[in-house]
Amino acid sequence: MFDMTPEDLMRYLDGELSPEERRRVEVAVETSTELSRELALYRAMKEDFQGLSFSPTRPGDTWSRVNRRLTRPVGWALLIVGTAVWALYGGYVYTTTPGVLVEKLATGAVVIGVLLLLASVIWEQYQAWLADPYRDVHR
Amino acid sequence: MQPEVEQELIRKCKAGDARFYEPLVRAYEPAGMRVAMGMMGNPDDARDALQEAFVKVYENLARFDLARPFRPWFFQILRNQCRDMLRSRAARFRVETLDERVELRVADPEKGPERHRQRHAARELLWMALERVSDEHREILVLKELEGLRYGEIARILGIPEGTVASRLYHARRALKTVLEEQGTHYP
Repeated sequence: MFDMTPEDLMRYLDGELSPEERRRVEVAVETSTELSRELALYRAMKEDFQGLSFSPTRPGDTWSRVNRRLTRPVGWALLIVGTAVWALYGGYVYTTTPGVLVEKLATGAVVIGVLLLLASVIWEQYQAWLADPYRDVHR
Repeated sequence: MQPEVEQELIRKCKAGDARFYEPLVRAYEPAGMRVAMGMMGNPDDARDALQEAFVKVYENLARFDLARPFRPWFFQILRNQCRDMLRSRAARFRVETLDERVELRVADPEKGPERHRQRHAARELLWMALERVSDEHREILVLKELEGLRYGEIARILGIPEGTVASRLYHARRALKTVLEEQGTHYP
């Protein structure tokens, strides 16, 4: 007598048994109403799951999002390096070029003012994000 | 996609050329979306998880052993991503009822509209019941029933012995059956 386990029933259902094992399970199922009912239920579930299909809303959308993520670090690195080089070079030219003191002070004040305003806006946005109780709520 | 083509694309990506990653993303997008949708329960979270998984796959390609199959490795990363998102972002498994974003294949026309309506209702019940089983049960059901993976592949993805797959599937299906019964629904 073949002593069938629930795992054998799963392997049978999922086509993971050898022909010999399949035959033994089929005999066991034929002789048990309970087993055949259980098998019918799991088969119906399987069929219904297979009837579900999901598709992304726009084909290729995933790639464009992934591509943006992959190329973004390179963009940031180039931007930071380029900005640093320009800042150092600009600072060097600014300090070594002879000129009127008033012009230098005015230019320096404009640059520092713009940087301070930018830093202040970024800081405000960061604080607002931290305080937002809905930031973990998804679309 | 043929395995040789896939291997060649991966080799090129490992060499740092991201252009060759696009065919891989496009090839795995539908299957990845099915699994992510099954695990996350709604299209928005599923898309986020899938995108993050693809980025992680690319970032880790250097460590990928070309002698191993790519598919289970990809699904392993996707599954971990879904789990992380469900845990850390507290993005609870939010099931959306079957709508235009969850498509149902056309039923056999010979079986008639009544049969089609019944199956549609049954699928909706099943989809809602999937929300209420544990993460462990849901993920194995998604990999087997939605993606149709073999036991060997599921074992590699979940990091469990192949012999455990049948047993976990049995408990997962039983759990789903119990939820359906608790809902007071007659299934199938």
